[in-house]
Amino acid sequence: MNTIAPSKNSPMIELTGVRKNYGNYEVLKGIDAEVARGEVVVICGPSGSGKSTLIRTVNRLEEIGSGSISCDGNNIHRPMPAKELNRLRSRIGFVFQSFNLFPHLSAIDNIAMSPIRVKGVARDVAYAKATQLLERVGLTDKANAYPGQLSGGQQQRVAIARALAMEPPVMLFDEPTSALDPEMVGEVLSVMKGLAADGMTMMCVTHEMGFARDVADRVWFIDQGQIVECAPPEEFFSRPQTARAQRFLSELRH
Amino acid sequence: MSSFDLSEILGNPEYVSMLLLGIEMTFVVAIGSWVLAMTLALLLLGLRYAPGPVGNAFVTAYVSYHRNVPTLVQLMLWYFGIFTLMPDGLTFWLNDHNAEAIFAVIGLGLCQAAYFSEDLRSGMRAVSPGQLEAARALGHSYVSAMRFVMVPQGTRNALPALINHSVSLFKNSSLAVAIGVAELTYAVKEIENLSFRTFESYLLVTILYLVFSLMIMTVGAYVARRADPVRSGRA
Amino acid sequence: MISDIIAIIRDYWLLLLIGQYPNGPLGGLAATLMLSVLAIAFAFPVSIALALARLSKSPLLNWPVSALVYFTRGVPLLMLILWGYFLVPLVTGASVPSFLTMLVTLVVYQGAFLSEVVRGGIVALGHGQMEAARALGHSYLGAMRYVILPQALYNVIPSIISVFVSTIKDTTLGYVINVPDLTFAASQINNQLLTQPFQVFFILAAVYYVICWSLSRVAVLTERRITRKRAGTAAQATAKSLKLAALTDQPS
Ligand SMILES: Nc1ncnc2c1ncn2[C@@H]1O[C@H](COP(=O)(O)OP(=O)(O)OP(=O)(O)O)[C@@H](O)[C@H]1O
Ligand SMILES: [Mg+2]
Repeated sequence: MNTIAPSKNSPMIELTGVRKNYGNYEVLKGIDAEVARGEVVVICGPSGSGKSTLIRTVNRLEEIGSGSISCDGNNIHRPMPAKELNRLRSRIGFVFQSFNLFPHLSAIDNIAMSPIRVKGVARDVAYAKATQLLERVGLTDKANAYPGQLSGGQQQRVAIARALAMEPPVMLFDEPTSALDPEMVGEVLSVMKGLAADGMTMMCVTHEMGFARDVADRVWFIDQGQIVECAPPEEFFSRPQTARAQRFLSELRH
Repeated sequence: MSSFDLSEILGNPEYVSMLLLGIEMTFVVAIGSWVLAMTLALLLLGLRYAPGPVGNAFVTAYVSYHRNVPTLVQLMLWYFGIFTLMPDGLTFWLNDHNAEAIFAVIGLGLCQAAYFSEDLRSGMRAVSPGQLEAARALGHSYVSAMRFVMVPQGTRNALPALINHSVSLFKNSSLAVAIGVAELTYAVKEIENLSFRTFESYLLVTILYLVFSLMIMTVGAYVARRADPVRSGRA
Repeated sequence: MISDIIAIIRDYWLLLLIGQYPNGPLGGLAATLMLSVLAIAFAFPVSIALALARLSKSPLLNWPVSALVYFTRGVPLLMLILWGYFLVPLVTGASVPSFLTMLVTLVVYQGAFLSEVVRGGIVALGHGQMEAARALGHSYLGAMRYVILPQALYNVIPSIISVFVSTIKDTTLGYVINVPDLTFAASQINNQLLTQPFQVFFILAAVYYVICWSLSRVAVLTERRITRKRAGTAAQATAKSLKLAALTDQPS
């Protein structure tokens, strides 16, 4: 896991010259980067720097102005029929800061519904898989609980299981723990660590520096819409190259 | 039927004057009942907050009746029913002073007051109790906290509902036709009868209603925007 | 006075209940309820279609629906009924019972109103649900079908009941085109008795009150139930629900 060398030759995610504007305001100012297969990338940076925007462009929850993004060999932002985009999206897992579980469905229904409706998986197969995933995130006993009856940490673990149910080769996380009470952060991070250990390709916006240190292969530091630094965690944390990264890290430690 | 021709109506001074009279009466009924309704609504709201259970029970019953009986039936009960039970002197006086219009104002106003007072109450309830506490903690008296903190927020919360209900009050002025008030709907039926121009007369009056309603909505939206410190740029 | 009222009920209860039926069309309370139930039953699917059209980005879809919504919000129902009375026979080319004309008018009118309720329910859910469903690969309509509508429609059940109550009250306006409903029956009784208008219209008001009050209670209880069930998940913005309540709870 600690090598950057991809298992296959092509990178899993490839961003080339990605730019995006909100009106006159340029949020992403030309992003060039790659995520190798099996690599875990942690993205950090000050608030408003464009981290969410960047990660959301990868499964096209946001459109981009120019440049291109490919994932597993597919150009995500090319013009394509809606059907094709839905198929591609189902192969990119996304975990939201605010969970966004479907409150009208129980935990296990949350996990099984999309494989059935989107991929046409048979019910019993989907539910068997969902049961397995619940076990993996440690929530076997909560299968029939509704989101409203779960703690934040439990909800987020269900959300991760829900994304995994589509069997995506890539998982994207946008601050998955920052809406959680401190005592629940650990349980979510340990699920994510498990995923990384299993070889999942991950892109993760987070300020959990402990997680970055332990799990990440590389850290991207973003500021004002640009990747300012890109280095293995030990290097980034001990020898940040730019003044901006130094200031960010020192503020984070306080 | 001959082809579409609005000038058949708009070119006829008799029809035009019927239309204008209808518009005038519609506004008399709508504005009269709006003023009555708002005044009563404030009284009802005061009663709600008055100490003791009697005021509250009265308002609950008042609101319940006026919201659960069709407005048209309320008007009929006033004009065909209660009117006949009144002492002769009063009946004569009312008959001399356009009794239909007066009962339309009373009926619609009383009914609408129930809606307005509930709008205001929900608006007040939507202000978080923390606001009152914060104001009291800063040393405001109860009255002063109400005056400067609660009521401004409560009315602002109530505005969208009040505007909606003002539009429906305006539309409901058309119900007055059922008790013989010569307002706009009455005018259109008369014009239709005389001119045989059903489509044209309906179209004309429909547009008039639409324009007036949209005017109320626009003014309402403007007032709501002015009342919102963020959107009006006074933040 | 009270004995008058009892006497009227004793003599005319059947007329109030079913009108002239079977010697004439079904009328009275039965017609009022049937008209209301049918109107809501047809207006409901119409309203979902209208709400989706209004939410769509295509101006071809959302423009006409917005126009319809503003039209029904700005024009008195009475005027729409007159239009219906004029247009429905013109379109169908046959003379149509006033009951049917009234039904068509109510479906259009309440369909437009209800579409605002449904749209409000969808909007109140926020972006997160749609985004999460799309991120899982659902199509727009799939997300609507499996994620958004089940929640939105459930949440607006109380408002739908309120619209139903409004519909019952709205059926009274059928008098302009002589729909044989409860109000019509009461007018008939009044015309026969001539001397007791207060008593007759008092009974009429009382019957409507009992029905609409009961249904309003059901709406309130359902609302409480739903709120309880939703407690713990994302709280809905008060302002939004206030606006929604004002929309459905119209005098008529
Ligand atoms: N829909 C939008 N319209 C206009 N501006 C937006 C929009 N979404 C985001 N922005 C702006 O784009 C910039 C980047 O936003 P983004 O959410 O990507 O930041 P972030 O790095 O994720 O910040 P945070 O750490 O606070 O989540 C911010 O300045 C934000 O105000
Ligand atoms: Mg963010």
